[in-house]
Amino acid sequence: MNDRIIFDDVSKFYGEVLGVNRITLSLPPGVTTLVGPNGSGKTTLMNLMTGLVQPSSGHISVLGVAPDNATEFFRTVGYCTQFDTFPRGLTGFQFVMDSLMLHGISAAQATKLAAQSLGRVNLGDAAGRRIAGYSKGMRQKIRLAQAIAHHPKVLILDEPLNGLDPMARAELLELFQELGRQGMHLLISSHILEEVDRISDRVVLITGGYLIAVGNIHQVRQEVREKPMQVIVRCQHPELLASKMFAIHHCVEARIHPDGKGVFLRTGDVDQFYSMLNDIAAEGAIKIDTVAPADDDANAIYQYLIGSDGSAS
Amino acid sequence: MTRKDLANFGEKLGQQPWGLWLLQAQRVVRIEVRRNLFSWRATWVFFLAFIPTVIILLHTLFQRHPVMEISDDTNVLAGIIQIYYIRLGIFFGCLGIFSGLIRGEMVERSLHFYLLSPVRREVLLLAKFAAGTVSALLLFGSAVIAGFTLIYSGFGAAGRDYVFNGPGLSQLGAYLSIIVLACLGYGAVFLLFSMMFRNPMPAAMLLFAWEVINPVLPTLLQRISVASYLRHLMPVSVATEGIFALLTVQTEPVSAWAASLGLLMLIAIVLTYSCYRVRSLEIRYTSD
Amino acid sequence: MSIYKHSYRAYTGRLTPVWSRVFVLVRYGFSEIWSSKITIVLFTLSLLPSIFFLFGIYLANNPLARALVGAKNVGFTSIDAGYFLAMLQIHCWLALVLTSWIAPRLITFDLADNALPVMLSHPISRFGYVAGKFIALFSSLSAITWVPCLLLFCYQAYASPQGWTGNHLRLAAGLFAGALIWILFLSILGIALSSWVKWRMVATGIIIAAIFIPAGVGGVVSGVLRTKWGMLLNLPITMSLLWQRLLGAAPSSLGRRVDLPTSAIVFSLLLAAVGCVAMLNARIRAREMVRG
Repeated sequence: MNDRIIFDDVSKFYGEVLGVNRITLSLPPGVTTLVGPNGSGKTTLMNLMTGLVQPSSGHISVLGVAPDNATEFFRTVGYCTQFDTFPRGLTGFQFVMDSLMLHGISAAQATKLAAQSLGRVNLGDAAGRRIAGYSKGMRQKIRLAQAIAHHPKVLILDEPLNGLDPMARAELLELFQELGRQGMHLLISSHILEEVDRISDRVVLITGGYLIAVGNIHQVRQEVREKPMQVIVRCQHPELLASKMFAIHHCVEARIHPDGKGVFLRTGDVDQFYSMLNDIAAEGAIKIDTVAPADDDANAIYQYLIGSDGSAS
Repeated sequence: MTRKDLANFGEKLGQQPWGLWLLQAQRVVRIEVRRNLFSWRATWVFFLAFIPTVIILLHTLFQRHPVMEISDDTNVLAGIIQIYYIRLGIFFGCLGIFSGLIRGEMVERSLHFYLLSPVRREVLLLAKFAAGTVSALLLFGSAVIAGFTLIYSGFGAAGRDYVFNGPGLSQLGAYLSIIVLACLGYGAVFLLFSMMFRNPMPAAMLLFAWEVINPVLPTLLQRISVASYLRHLMPVSVATEGIFALLTVQTEPVSAWAASLGLLMLIAIVLTYSCYRVRSLEIRYTSD
Repeated sequence: MSIYKHSYRAYTGRLTPVWSRVFVLVRYGFSEIWSSKITIVLFTLSLLPSIFFLFGIYLANNPLARALVGAKNVGFTSIDAGYFLAMLQIHCWLALVLTSWIAPRLITFDLADNALPVMLSHPISRFGYVAGKFIALFSSLSAITWVPCLLLFCYQAYASPQGWTGNHLRLAAGLFAGALIWILFLSILGIALSSWVKWRMVATGIIIAAIFIPAGVGGVVSGVLRTKWGMLLNLPITMSLLWQRLLGAAPSSLGRRVDLPTSAIVFSLLLAAVGCVAMLNARIRAREMVRG
């Protein structure tokens, strides 16, 4: 499967400390987000994928190429790490150029590509300044520019939005979405779950070195059967709706919205629930304005599967 | 190994992307030399290399040079090469340059940029070694040439005669080959130390002490030393007294070819082992 | 958000004296120094020579012991200025090795981890910060230099005939002064050089190089310019001369050839110390300027 990123029963131990354990993944093109608390193994997974650390067991291949074949591997992979350090004394432009020159590209072509990638992250004006004088956000952007300069097919980004202001975050998120649509593999680790919701085609939940869940956010949410789905219904008589829903036994919890114009309902069987809601709406006694899932997002599945203390629940 | 195996091996060797590796190596060398030699950070190595040159310049400009002092100055220059450059200047210069190539980048947390580039690790290591050697040779080689030129220029025609019609040029050739071998030898050892140890300095200081006491060790142990090979290539013997005799004493005589070959073999073994180790190098930046 | 509770109060309890706060840094310095196993190994190795010298003093004062070890008829070393000079030299050079290991641990970790702004945002001055580190280093070096040397002197005084102590008090003073000068210099040098580079590995190498490279340069100056003054840069030689003069020992052959005035030696040490203070002034700051 030459268009996939494959982890085959991969484990990594740092002495007696577990990095990741028996991870098996097959990631197609698109935007995949790694979600997990601090120390869960996200960076270890990314470092394993790029050969910066070697697995204790298992195999990894990215588009059919193993990480130890550096010449072929890094032509197609770009990695924007979380390390906020750079070779000393370089300007932003030199940093990107040096990286491109190692690909064997001619100096003229490398200059063009460097300028392009610096423009893409809006660092064109600051490229001539030394990186040591950059702000945190600029350093983040220059690392990203270096990772995308050679037009890789796979882009691995370790917390790429750290230190960026809201405008810059929005721009980069749009860039990631566009790259995903173009067929690139993007693997992003992030703590910002609202953004995970916005851009991800699929999410990989990891905690304590173990894989908890993989898949589309909605699919993962539906798999979490022990946590009843929460739906918000906006209507004129929320208390009436709540009492009707309780009467038909598919509702386990009801909470009136603080503004009094809606109700949060929890149900263990979402299909039956929607069917009953249709019937109630058809009766005409309650005018329903909107119906939407209230916990069908990354934040919710993070809370349900990982919890606030970072351990798997 | 059968003939078929050898043929297969030869074929595989021929199929490797030598052109790409050479190009990448050249670029790594250029990047490294630019970052490490032509920057303010390299000021200390320039100082190490050229301070004797500056002192010789002062001697040439401000002191008289009667012709009978040519042999004295020749001995002084030999002493500078053997005692200052080999024992101190090149030792510490190469320690700083070559330790910084791998271990220094690990400490500065910038090595991962190279490991994330499409350059084979062995090519990267050898290119970094070449860059370090180029940097060291450019500095120390030009310093020795400058010092040699200055020391004899003060004698006017007698100095020119000594250099071009006498043993001067062959001595300069010998000094330069000693500098080359010293840079290669120490460079390979310090590169290996920087890959084996988190802090290569204690090992380097032990090597420093080993090199000092080397002349009093048994013959077999004397072979495990860079300076012991270089001693046999000196065109001019330097006689000193007391404890400094340890730095210059002649040991069991060895021909120049044997000394050079021995050192080159030592360098090749060390580099081969370093290439083996770099394959399993991991990026785990911890606090120093 | 409106402020309406006004219930926050700053700490108004008892404070420790200002002068004692430096010793917090000293305590942390010791903890950092002794957290490394290599420090323990080096410290132990540094004290090993004391055992050999102790044994030598014991044998020199004990004919029966000499007979037992079979050294009865051998002309044995007399415990004189030369003996204590050798003792002092060995301990002091081992102190250099220990300094090259522990001085970087005191400063470079703070620099590499960017802890100086945090440290200096407390009510402690830059001088107090440096003083704390200096005291930690100086105390550690004292334990392997003048302390064992003076203890050995005391043992010799105890073992030798009456009147020996009075006649040889100069030795005690010389041991103390010689070791003190050396470890004061090493402490300021070690801390200054460690502050100049961010990385411990580099600092260790630089401390050793700072002793031997000037020695080589001094040799070049003396050889090329035909002058003895180049030897002022040669710390091994100048310190040997200084110690020899402090203890009143007979000069070695090298000492007879290199006759440098004591005032010049002391002046060169002072100059180097001033340079170290200037380095510390430039590097120990709560902020880092990046140009370009």
